[in-house]
Amino acid sequence: MKKKALHKAHSLIPRNSLAWLLTAQIVVLLPHLPRLPFWVSVLWLGCALWRVQIQRMRWGYPGPLLKTLGIAAITAGVWFTERTLIGLDAAVMLLLLLFMFKLLEMRNPRDAIVVIYLGFFIIATAFLFDQSILLTLYQLFSLLVLVAALVGLQQTAGRNDPSRALRTGSVLLMQAVPLMVVLFLFFPRIGPLWSVDTPGGSATTGLAESMSPGDIADLARSGELAFRVSFEGPIPAHETLYWRALTLASFDGRSWSHLDFASRAEPRDWQPRGEPVRYQVTTRATQQPWVFSLRGATSDDERLVLTRDFLLRARRPLSETTSYSATSYLQSLLEPEDLTAMQQRLYTLLPEEVDPRSRAFAAQLRAEYADDAELIQALLRHFNQEPFFYTLRPGPLGVNTNDEFLFDTRRGFCAHFAGAMAFVLRAAGIPARIIAGYQGGEINPAGNYVLVHQFDAHAWVEAWLPGQGWISVDPTYQVAPERIERGIQQALEGEGSFLEDSPLAAARYRNISWINTARLRWDDINFQWQLRVLGFQADRQSGFFQRWLGTTDWQRIGAILVICAALVMIPLALWILRPGRLPRDPRRRAWARLDRRLQRLGLQAMRGEGPRAWQARLDQALPGSRRQIEAFFDEYVQQTYANAGDRLDRADSLRLRALERELRRSLPRRRPRGPIRALDSGDLPGESSRL
Amino acid sequence: MIGVRQRAGGLFDRWLKRRIPPASRLTLSHRQIFIVPTRAGLALLLLLLIMLIGAINYQNSLVYGVTFLLGSLFWVSLHHTYRNLASLELHAAGAAPVFAGELAPLELNLIAPRHEHQALVLSWPESQPQQLDLAKKGEARVTLYHPTRSRGWFSPGRLRIETRYPLGWFVAWSLVDLDWQVLVYPRVISLPLPPLAVGGEGSNEQQMVEGTDDFQGLRDYQPGDSRRRLDWRAYSRGQGLHSKVFAEPVQTTQWLDLEHTPGMDLEQRLSHLAGWVMQLELAGQPYGLQAGNTRIAPASGERHRDRCLRTLALYGYEQ
Repeated sequence: MKKKALHKAHSLIPRNSLAWLLTAQIVVLLPHLPRLPFWVSVLWLGCALWRVQIQRMRWGYPGPLLKTLGIAAITAGVWFTERTLIGLDAAVMLLLLLFMFKLLEMRNPRDAIVVIYLGFFIIATAFLFDQSILLTLYQLFSLLVLVAALVGLQQTAGRNDPSRALRTGSVLLMQAVPLMVVLFLFFPRIGPLWSVDTPGGSATTGLAESMSPGDIADLARSGELAFRVSFEGPIPAHETLYWRALTLASFDGRSWSHLDFASRAEPRDWQPRGEPVRYQVTTRATQQPWVFSLRGATSDDERLVLTRDFLLRARRPLSETTSYSATSYLQSLLEPEDLTAMQQRLYTLLPEEVDPRSRAFAAQLRAEYADDAELIQALLRHFNQEPFFYTLRPGPLGVNTNDEFLFDTRRGFCAHFAGAMAFVLRAAGIPARIIAGYQGGEINPAGNYVLVHQFDAHAWVEAWLPGQGWISVDPTYQVAPERIERGIQQALEGEGSFLEDSPLAAARYRNISWINTARLRWDDINFQWQLRVLGFQADRQSGFFQRWLGTTDWQRIGAILVICAALVMIPLALWILRPGRLPRDPRRRAWARLDRRLQRLGLQAMRGEGPRAWQARLDQALPGSRRQIEAFFDEYVQQTYANAGDRLDRADSLRLRALERELRRSLPRRRPRGPIRALDSGDLPGESSRL
Repeated sequence: MIGVRQRAGGLFDRWLKRRIPPASRLTLSHRQIFIVPTRAGLALLLLLLIMLIGAINYQNSLVYGVTFLLGSLFWVSLHHTYRNLASLELHAAGAAPVFAGELAPLELNLIAPRHEHQALVLSWPESQPQQLDLAKKGEARVTLYHPTRSRGWFSPGRLRIETRYPLGWFVAWSLVDLDWQVLVYPRVISLPLPPLAVGGEGSNEQQMVEGTDDFQGLRDYQPGDSRRRLDWRAYSRGQGLHSKVFAEPVQTTQWLDLEHTPGMDLEQRLSHLAGWVMQLELAGQPYGLQAGNTRIAPASGERHRDRCLRTLALYGYEQ
C-alpha cells in the first residue's frame, strides 16, 4: 500500500529527466545509424517529436491499434532490410527500433528505467560491430549520459539543474573504474557457452582466391592496414619479409587461382634451415581462413594448421581480430627430395592454345639452358635487362595476356611479372606456382613492430628444383629493386600513383615527418589496444597470471582476486562513506564523541542545554558513572568557561581527553532496561503542545 | 496465518524499539539505516547476467568491460545511497493540537551537518510522502501531515525516511520514532446552543461580567484576552496594550455540562461540547465547562478555549 502511494506521488517523468532521456537515446543510437537504412533516423526523429508533444500535453499516447501497427511495421522493416528476422544483425536492428518506440510508451519512471536499460544493452551490442578506441571512448560518454538520465529520474522533481545529474553520474562512474579493472583482469575467461552468430562482415579488402594480373594492383590502391607483426628478436631486413598467404596453382589462360586440395594435406617433407625467427601476427577479421607467415613457418597455435604447400591456415575463417605466434626458418628446404607425379603434373599444367609467343620463348630458353637453375637465372636477367616498367597504371591487356605483357606493353605490376614468369617456367617444364601475400611492411619505431598495409600486397613465384625444393624467385625485384628493399611508395615515387585515389590516407603523407610520427604513434596505441584489451582472452589472461602472479592455479588466483578486490573496495567504500570531520576544538571533539556514545544509551542533551544541567540529568540516569561524570564536566566547564584566553595548551586537552575516555569506559554497554524515558522527557520540544 | 503475521510484526516492532529507541532528536547512522536493492536494482543484475553471457559467447573484451563497469557502479551506488541518509539529523519540533479527523501538522527539523542529502522521502503508511533536498550544512523545517481519527493524545507511528538517490538501484530507509505527541480535540459537531443556565450554581446573581455588547472602558491587557478586543488604536498611539471591556448581564454566561449534553454516546456528546466551545468563543461569550470532576469557571479567550478543549480531548483518559 505504501509503495502505491509513493508511486502515485511522483509517477510522472520529470521534464529534466526526459531531456536527459532524449539526449541519451540519440547518443546511444548514433554509432548504429550509419549501419542502418535512412528511414530509421527519420523514424527516431518522429518518435522524439511525438514524445516531446506528449510532454507538452499537445498529443496523446499512441493507442493499442497504433502500437500493434507500429510493431508490425518495424518487423516488416527489419525483414526488408536484413531479409531475415533471426541472426545477430536483425536482432540488433529490432532492438534499436523497439528502443525508439518505447519512448512513446513511456508513462512513468519505471518505463523510463526500461528505456535506460535497453540503452545499456545497445551500448554493449555496438561493440560486437566495432571495437575501436574512438568508439569505446564514445560509448563511455553514452554510458555517462544514460547514468545521468538515471540520476535525473531520482532527483527531486522540479529541480532544474541538468548538469548536476551529469556531474553526479561522472563521479559515480569514476569511482566504479577501479573495481571494474580488477574484475576485468581476474574474471576467468572461458570459451563460448554455445556457438553464436557473428556479426555480418562488411566487404573487406584483401587477397582473393584467384588473381588476374590487374587484381593486386587494385589492392595496392588501398591504404588500409592488413596486419601487424611484432618480432621477438630484431626485425629482419625489409627484403626478406615475404608474407605468404596462399598459393595460386591453377592457370586458366587469364587468371591464377587457388586450388583447395593442393593445400589440404600435411606437408610431405621439409628441412628447417637458418636461424629461427619468432613473431606474433595480429590480423583483423578477414572472413577468410588463410593467415600470414614467413617461409618455413611452424606454429603451436591450435587454431592453425600447416598445409601441404607450407602455409599456415586457420581451421575456421577469421571472424574476429586474431593474434597468433609463429616461428619461421627462412632458409628452409621445402620438399627437397622429389615431387609426386601428381604434383609434377599439377605444377606444370597450362591451358592449350594461349600465349604462343611465350611458349616459343620458353622453348628457346630451354634449348639454351639445360639446367633448370640456369634457365631461371636467364629469365630473371631478361626481366632485368629488357625495358620492363614497374607501374600501378599498366595498360589493358587482350586475350593472350602473357604474350602482350612480355613482348608488347612491358608495363606491369607484380602480378604481371609473377604471372608471366610462372607461365614461362611451366612452359619450359619447371614446376612453378605463384605465391600471393604481402611483401615488406613499415617498421613502427614507437612500438617496434611491423605494419603491413594492403598496398604491400605482392605476388611472386616459387619454382621447384631437384635437391633444393621450392625456391622463391621474385621477378619484380629485377625490375624495381626499391620495391622490395624499401617499399612501394619509393618504387612509385616518379609515377606519383601511390594511393592517388585516397588523398586523405595518412599513409600517403609518410614523408611529412610530424604527420608520420603522429600516424605511427596512433597506430601503436591501436595495436596495444588490440593486443592488450581486445585480445585479453583465455591465453592472454593466463599469461598475465603467470607473469604477474607466478601461478595459474585457480585457487591461488581466486585468493589474490579477493585480496585485490578488497584492496580496491575497502578504501573506496571508506572514502565514499567518509564521515564529516569532527570539530577542531578538542573540547568540542570530546563533547561530540561523548554525545555519540550517550546517544546509544538513549540519552541526549537538549538543544541549548548547558553542561551543568546536562550533567545533573546524566547523574540521575547513570548513577554508576557519577564520579567520572563529575570529573569530566568539572574539567570541561573549567576549560570552557574559566579560560580567559581561548587558547588551550596541550596538557589541558590531553587531560580532558583522558577524562572523557574514562567516562566513556564506565558507561554501560547497552541502554539500561529501566525507564530512562522519564528522564529525557523534561521539556522535549514535542511536548510544548501539552501546555 | 494472521496470528503468525501479527506475532512476527510484534517481534519486529520490539526489535525495532530496541534498535531505534524513541527519541525526539536523532542522528541517522548504521544502527538506524537499512538498505536493500530495489526491483530496478535486481533487474539490472539480470541484465548484467545476460550481458556477461553475451561477452563470454562473443569473446568480446569490451562487452566484458561494460558489464563490469555497470556491476561496479551497482556496488558504488550502494554506498552513495547509504551515505545519502547517513549523518542526517532529525529534530522533532512542535505539533499543534488539531480536531479529530483533521491532519495533524508535525514539525520536523532536518539538519545536514556533514554533506548534502538529496531526494529524501518522508512518509507514514497513511500519509502523503513528502520529498526534499538538503544542502550541505543546510537546515530545513518541514511540516508533515498525519491524519488523526480519535481524540486524546496521538503519536504517529514510526516515520519512514527513505531515499533511492542517486541511481534508484538501492533503497535506504529508516523507521524513526520521533516521540511526537499531538493533542487531538474531539471532532467538532455544531448544534444550536443549549438554553442558558443549564448548570452551575451562581447563575442567578445579578452582576455584570465582561461581555460583548456594551462597551464599558479599557483595562490593561492580560494574556489570554481575545485579540479582537484589543484597543489597537491606543496601541498604535504608543499607549500600551489595552483590552476593551464590554458589559453584559451575567445571565448570558453559558454553562456547558457534559451530563446535560444531548448525544448518542460519550464521543458524540464531547463533539457537541467542542462545537459549542468553538461557537461561544467565536461569539466572544463567556462560558464555563463541567465535565465529570473537572470544572472550569466561566471565562473566554483563546487560553480558556484551549483549556476546555483539552479537557474534552482527554476526558475519560487518565490525566
